[in-house]
Amino acid sequence: MPIVELQKIRKVYDTKVAVEGLSLTIEPGTMFGLLGPNGSGKTSSIRMMIGMTVPDSGTVSLFGKPFDRASLHRIGYLPEERGLYKKMKVLDQLVFLGQLHGLSEATARSRALVWCERMQITEAIGKKTEELSKGMQQKIQFIAALLHEPELIIMDEPFSGLDPVNAELLQNTLIDLRREGKTVLFSTHRMDQVEKLCDSIALISRGKLVLTGSMRDVKSRYPRNRVQVVFSGDESFLGHAEVAEAQNYSGVAHIKLHHEAGAQVVLAEAIARGTVINRFEVKEPTLEEIFIEQVRASFGDEEARGIVDA
Amino acid sequence: MHNIWLIAKREYMERIRTKAFLIATILIPTLMGGGVFGIATLASRSKATSHVAVVASQPQPAEDLKKDLENGKDSKMTVDILPASTPRASLDRKIADKQLDGYLVITPAGVVGQRPSFDFTPRSSADITTSTAIKDALHTVLMREYLGDRGVSAAETAALMAPVTLNIIGKNGERGNSKSSFYVAYVLFFLMYMVVLLYGMNVARSIIEEKTSRVFEVLLATITPDELLAGKILGVGAVGLTQVGIWMIAAGLLAARAGAMSGISLSVAQVVFFIVYFALGYALYSSVAAALGAMTNSEQELQQLNMFMMMPLFLCMGMLVPIVTNPNSMLSRIVSEIPFCAPLLMELRISISMPQPWEIALSIGLILVTIYAVLWISSRIYRVGILMYGKKPNLPEILRWLKYS
Repeated sequence: MPIVELQKIRKVYDTKVAVEGLSLTIEPGTMFGLLGPNGSGKTSSIRMMIGMTVPDSGTVSLFGKPFDRASLHRIGYLPEERGLYKKMKVLDQLVFLGQLHGLSEATARSRALVWCERMQITEAIGKKTEELSKGMQQKIQFIAALLHEPELIIMDEPFSGLDPVNAELLQNTLIDLRREGKTVLFSTHRMDQVEKLCDSIALISRGKLVLTGSMRDVKSRYPRNRVQVVFSGDESFLGHAEVAEAQNYSGVAHIKLHHEAGAQVVLAEAIARGTVINRFEVKEPTLEEIFIEQVRASFGDEEARGIVDA
Repeated sequence: MHNIWLIAKREYMERIRTKAFLIATILIPTLMGGGVFGIATLASRSKATSHVAVVASQPQPAEDLKKDLENGKDSKMTVDILPASTPRASLDRKIADKQLDGYLVITPAGVVGQRPSFDFTPRSSADITTSTAIKDALHTVLMREYLGDRGVSAAETAALMAPVTLNIIGKNGERGNSKSSFYVAYVLFFLMYMVVLLYGMNVARSIIEEKTSRVFEVLLATITPDELLAGKILGVGAVGLTQVGIWMIAAGLLAARAGAMSGISLSVAQVVFFIVYFALGYALYSSVAAALGAMTNSEQELQQLNMFMMMPLFLCMGMLVPIVTNPNSMLSRIVSEIPFCAPLLMELRISISMPQPWEIALSIGLILVTIYAVLWISSRIYRVGILMYGKKPNLPEILRWLKYS
């Protein structure tokens, strides 16, 4: 039974189509990455998932049932644009947000203290939010989303604006939560994080689903046709018939082959021509490459370059 | 309901704890009380104190006039009596040197029995206090002189000229105090006006604040916009009620201490209706403010829309006099049913002269329906506006948003 199931949801604002016929399922206990370039409809989709807006057509099911506001207490949500009450003390703020999620005041208070310790911000507890650094505020918001021990955790760009140490702390927390059996959905355009963390992904572009599935499925759909060669000497092997594209950065070459099987042929050819090979690595495509390729396909080349670079 | 309560509680606690609340609670009544007291003190002491000269050929009525002006009811002037031969030029010079505030020339009439003519030259023609005091004094003096000539005794003259007391008897036969009930109505009206204006805007501000700090998105993940807005109106509203409550209790204690309550009596019905209409008016204007807050993104934008709150209040102000003078005219009855005016004007009518029960019921019903409608609209604007655009919508856009779910 999927924990989130979207069926052909569609949302139009005035004339702009934000989400167009998006269907996806998220299985319980997985770490799910929602990917897409800026303005592709990630946030709009998430908002429909948690009933903040209602899709124009299509259905949203949570926990195996049609959407119901009562199930919102089982969801923790970290919005993309963070916000806290500036003048409120940190602990009061956490207790208030916990109570909104159905906790009693005492429970919210004791859990907030535990989490503050876990997130290493104990010294901030008695302070007002406006006195804290951006990173600390983000951690507080992170805690607020988790205080009521939700089964489904939805985070919109959770790592943006954090330094590497804190980003790692948050990543590890998410991994721990997944190990405890929670389902985590997060959106991002940082591919390295997705590759490291996610079990499954969905890539959307222009409000449409481009590809979805488990990380292994997605990758296996793309051929292992990339080779990195570190060499010295003759470089004429780069012109071999099996090579589709090659870039040579003075001794380090990135090669794209026509077929997976071509790697061995090219290696044999290079050795035959007397090139000294220091390293020869057949690589699977990175998620970033898949992402760029897919987005490019949905936009057209030129446009995609601008979007992906941004 | 639980969510509304939580939102309201947070809003209330956060506001009550601020220094601004404490300062406003103490300072506003102090300033207003001080102002009213100061003006009253000044007004009671503002007897005419000018220095004038009277140029007369005969001792009467100049002597009597001098007596009246120097020790009169409303005046404490210094009066010099000068012979008719005094040159005008020297008097004009004295005025220019600011030694005199003016001079009065009394020229006896040619015919016996006719009044003399009085010519007053003031230093400043805008000095109405002095000229009015002289005019009144002359009137009294001439009347007294005339009566004295006819052989009426001084005591009889005084009795004759004493002011008349008009007793106002209510329908129930009790001797009422029309002045005090009138003042009570005015005070209640302005209290309501002020608080609605002050605290209504706070609702709008609190919504904008939440928008700029982007807290709403976390909140809307668990609660609906309707709950959020209702909670805000209740919470901020309770702050206003607390403040007014503190003022009222303080004023009550003070008045009881000073024994000033004896003159002003508030009937139970008056108090109950005040509270009912106050709460309703407050809720109504707060929900309008919530709509304005939902439409705008900054304090500046809010200022521009402020007039939508002010206009009905100005209309109410304009209707004050017509309603006070004629509380049961067709005009009064119609405007006091308009939901935006009813809290102020129906309340005013109730404290002056009780309207029909159905009129009161109708006005309350209309206010409730309006509050619901305004809240419904604002929560639509809020939901669609902040989640989609983050800009100030124009009217067609708002109308289109109302259709969104």
